[in-house]
Amino acid sequence: MSYALAAYAIAVGGIAAYAAWLAGQRRALERELRSEPLRNHG
Amino acid sequence: MTQSTSLPRLTAAALGVSALLWAFFVWRAPIDAMQGPIQKILYIHVPCVVGAYLGFFLTAGASGVYLWRRGERADRFAAAAAEVGVLFCTLVLLTGPIWAKGTWGRWWTWDLRLTLTLLLYLIYVSYLLLRSFTEGSERAARFSAVYAVVGVLLIPLNYWAIDLAGGRTVHPENLGRGSLGAGMGAPFALGMLTAVAAFAHLLVRRLEVGALRAERERLDAEALRREA
Repeated sequence: MSYALAAYAIAVGGIAAYAAWLAGQRRALERELRSEPLRNHG
Repeated sequence: MTQSTSLPRLTAAALGVSALLWAFFVWRAPIDAMQGPIQKILYIHVPCVVGAYLGFFLTAGASGVYLWRRGERADRFAAAAAEVGVLFCTLVLLTGPIWAKGTWGRWWTWDLRLTLTLLLYLIYVSYLLLRSFTEGSERAARFSAVYAVVGVLLIPLNYWAIDLAGGRTVHPENLGRGSLGAGMGAPFALGMLTAVAAFAHLLVRRLEVGALRAERERLDAEALRREA
């Protein structure tokens, strides 16, 4: 059973980690773009 | 705007529902008489293969469109699909050896199916590296697109590897009609559905990130032009 649990933990954890990383990237880029016009025109 | 914000919600909802059903059916699935509980890895290993194949087919398709129309969006779509495909292929290469260790007694063997899967993985990892090292160059985008189209030819070879090897492989044959025992069809089908839903959700999210990166690059280029 431990082999099966390890496989499920790695697969589900891997997908969740990638989804979280994408969400972080999106937030950071949105923040950067919100401040971009100020930097360009400021 | 409504469409761009509602699509991730839709894919997230589809993923949530199918994942819950899948988890329930995997939990209730019968224990295989030969392999024991480790056989349940089937319900996650094969769906991950579907995610990888889907990613690489879409990368090749979008690359073909890019070569034909030279559209920036097709190029961005190809990169996004490749990244999600590589994630699923990584999971295939992690869950497979765990299953192998528990049933064959070793993590890895240079079996034709395993070797071709590793090769497919390396091809698309190289594709992503190539893109990251040569970001923004149209020539590099063209070369990457050709590379992605050629790389996908490995998928049919990988799929029929067992037949090509004349059955002289350690890896089990592809599943066919009636291969699964009673009660194993539902968790398997739901696993496939969940993998497709997860793939769609991650691809939509990755496309959003790609679009934001493109917007940042456009603004940076604009700022540079103004400064010049």
